[in-house]
Amino acid sequence: MQKKRILVVEDAAYMRDMLSEMLEQAERSYEVVGFAVNGKEAVEKYKELKPDIVTMDLVMEVMDGIQAIRGIKKDDPNALIIVISALGTPEQKKAALDAGAGEYLWKPFTIKNLFDALEKLLGKRKDERGSAT
Amino acid sequence: MIKGLNYRFFILLSTVLACTILAFFVGFIKNETIVYTHSFYAPILLAGVWYRKKAIYIALFLSIIYILVTYPLAHLSIDVFARSAIFVAVAYVIGLVSEERAKGEEKLKETKDYLDNIITSSVDAIAVVDMDGIVRSWNKAAEDYMGYTEAEVIGTSNKKFFADPEEGEKIMRIVQRDGGLKNYRTTVLNKDKKPVHTSMSAALLRDKNGVPIGTVRMSRDITKEVELEEKIKEERDNLNLILESMDDGVYIVSKDYKVEFMNKVLIDTLGYHVGDICYKVFHNRDDSCPLCKNAEVMKGKTVRWEWDSRRNNKTYDLFETPLKDIKGTMSKLTIFRDISERKRMENELRDAEERYRVIFEHALTALCVIEHGEVVSLANKEFETLSGYSREEIEGKKWIDFIADEDMDRVQNYCEERRKGEAPACCEFKFVSSNGEIKQVNAWIEPIPGANRCIASLLDITELKRKEDELRETCEKLTELDKMKREFLNVAYHEMRSPLAPIVGYASMLERCELSGKGKKYLYIIEQSARELEKMINRMLELARIDSKKIELSLEGVYIPEVVAEVVKGIEPETKEKKQVISTVVPGVKIQADKQKVGAIFYNLISNAIKYTEEGGKIDIMVVDREREGDIRVCIADTGIGIPEEHLPKIFERFYMVDTSLTRKSGSLGLGLSIVKEYVKLHGGKVWATSEFGKGSKFFFIMPKRQ
Repeated sequence: MQKKRILVVEDAAYMRDMLSEMLEQAERSYEVVGFAVNGKEAVEKYKELKPDIVTMDLVMEVMDGIQAIRGIKKDDPNALIIVISALGTPEQKKAALDAGAGEYLWKPFTIKNLFDALEKLLGKRKDERGSAT
Repeated sequence: MIKGLNYRFFILLSTVLACTILAFFVGFIKNETIVYTHSFYAPILLAGVWYRKKAIYIALFLSIIYILVTYPLAHLSIDVFARSAIFVAVAYVIGLVSEERAKGEEKLKETKDYLDNIITSSVDAIAVVDMDGIVRSWNKAAEDYMGYTEAEVIGTSNKKFFADPEEGEKIMRIVQRDGGLKNYRTTVLNKDKKPVHTSMSAALLRDKNGVPIGTVRMSRDITKEVELEEKIKEERDNLNLILESMDDGVYIVSKDYKVEFMNKVLIDTLGYHVGDICYKVFHNRDDSCPLCKNAEVMKGKTVRWEWDSRRNNKTYDLFETPLKDIKGTMSKLTIFRDISERKRMENELRDAEERYRVIFEHALTALCVIEHGEVVSLANKEFETLSGYSREEIEGKKWIDFIADEDMDRVQNYCEERRKGEAPACCEFKFVSSNGEIKQVNAWIEPIPGANRCIASLLDITELKRKEDELRETCEKLTELDKMKREFLNVAYHEMRSPLAPIVGYASMLERCELSGKGKKYLYIIEQSARELEKMINRMLELARIDSKKIELSLEGVYIPEVVAEVVKGIEPETKEKKQVISTVVPGVKIQADKQKVGAIFYNLISNAIKYTEEGGKIDIMVVDREREGDIRVCIADTGIGIPEEHLPKIFERFYMVDTSLTRKSGSLGLGLSIVKEYVKLHGGKVWATSEFGKGSKFFFIMPKRQ
């Protein structure tokens, strides 16, 4: 199975590091292909890297996560985006999902939580594809 | 008369001729001058009696004869002339006397004719009765009146005229005794034996020596008067009947204070005193009362006055008016109206008025009375204070002068509607006081029933308004601050969660590393603490959301045994650690609710029970499906430390902690129960607790099965 290429969008360096390390733990499944520190950069990087999955923080400078999701989805409606944020009220979750995010992971989370969420996200795409074909 | 005259004339002529012949015979034939002249006095006397002064002519004629006869005999002497003069003088004197007498007789005759005329033509019946009771005179009116003609009664007894046969003598006796009788009432019988009411006046007739010879009686038919009198009497009886039946006391008092009549009401009140002297019996006085109006009333005046009776402590309204009977005798009619009750009410009214005046005057609200919606007619002390005007200045002032221009129309409309009873009781407006200062007042305008006036009560709320504004400002500031705080907290909760992410994340990664026994223990503690911290943050976040009303229920069918089982399972590590036993009695009931929130309710209550129950304690979860009420009743009982009674009502309050001291049991912010309360409330249920300190607590909640 091909490794899933992941773009990590996160303004906090320690979170970027942690996510990289967590994803490395499943090196046969996931590969971090790039980082973005804000939404604007995320949209640009997405176009450039065409990753399979984007992990998206919501609170960022320059452009926030919701806008970035919209930007990416505009470019690629099939983009798979998982929001990883400390925000987590039902309203905030709904806003993110409405913008086009496929999953929502609320900080703090365990490595298991992360993998479960990613698998769920991928499973959804499979379902979509399955239903499409 | 002519005959009589002729007769007298012949006698006189014969006597004169006889005297003449005698004179010629004695003088010429016998030439004697003897005194024969005495015979001359016979014709002179006769002429004097019959023809009065004309006797002088006879005397002169005889004197001439005497002188003629005596002259040839030359005996013409002084004596002859003297005798002649005596003839004339005697004739004159006799003539004069006769004339006077004749005059007197003439007069007498005239008077008699006159009296006869009066008697004859009198409308009153006049009869003359002699001392024996025999009728001597009977006039025309008497004929008409009695039916007897003059011829029928003259010379007969007067007894038959009277209904009472003794009446005639009785009248005679009275007339003899008193010399007369006036307006004596009797009943006479006419020729048809019909009784006729008569008023009789009589006078005693005497002869020239003063000896009584009879009576003259004048009678008048007074049938009409008597009938009238009877009618009047009847009316008076009717009047008495009316007076008797009146609710007011009535009495009639004569001029000399004698009680002539008392009606029943008065007799009942004062006792029967007819015939007594009023001031003696009613007032125990020896003289008339100083307030007595008798004299005034007797003059024909009607008076009305009030009298306070000290005897029975009552007040009477007295109406006193003159009353004249048929005889013209004046009495005083007095009507006593007992007005004690009215007086008492008047006094009470006065007292009440005084009371209300005092209340009005000393009320701490400014009060004024407005006439016809225009003029202020009355104001109290507080109104003076509010307006800055003196009472004299206020009273008569226009009501609108106290209203600020901008509020004028509004207040006038309000007053108008209040009069119609339509507007709400209260109206706020700007009040203009004497120095032009504007005061904010709250006004109540109430129409006074039955008069086109209303009472306005004004409360100066200027200060209150100012404080209200201040309060509003403060409130706005606080709301703003609260909003800022909430926004800040939202950010703060986010920022607090962020550093938790690497802690939890790396800890979870550490689990995958090979760790020593100690390492594993430390890692466990880190993970536990991080979870506890996360929970606290979550609760705070949830309450913040509740406060900002952002919480909505997402309803679905919730199967209660499943929820309970999930919660119990999730909490198992903690119960195991404390060696506690959880037993559940849950029927298979499904309710319409927000599953996540129902779970949170159970979770918070159960974890609370675990937290405050010692190791080895017991926790019972009982759910009752109440069909009749259409709800479920849940009880979570523990065998923990319990809650002191005084804290029970407050434990569901936000941030409330039973123990805030440093020695308290740590690990709680007192938010769990608040969330429970809010969630139950959102579902339309209620939550409460009972506890026995040291023995355990029971938490209950009720939740309807359908929303």
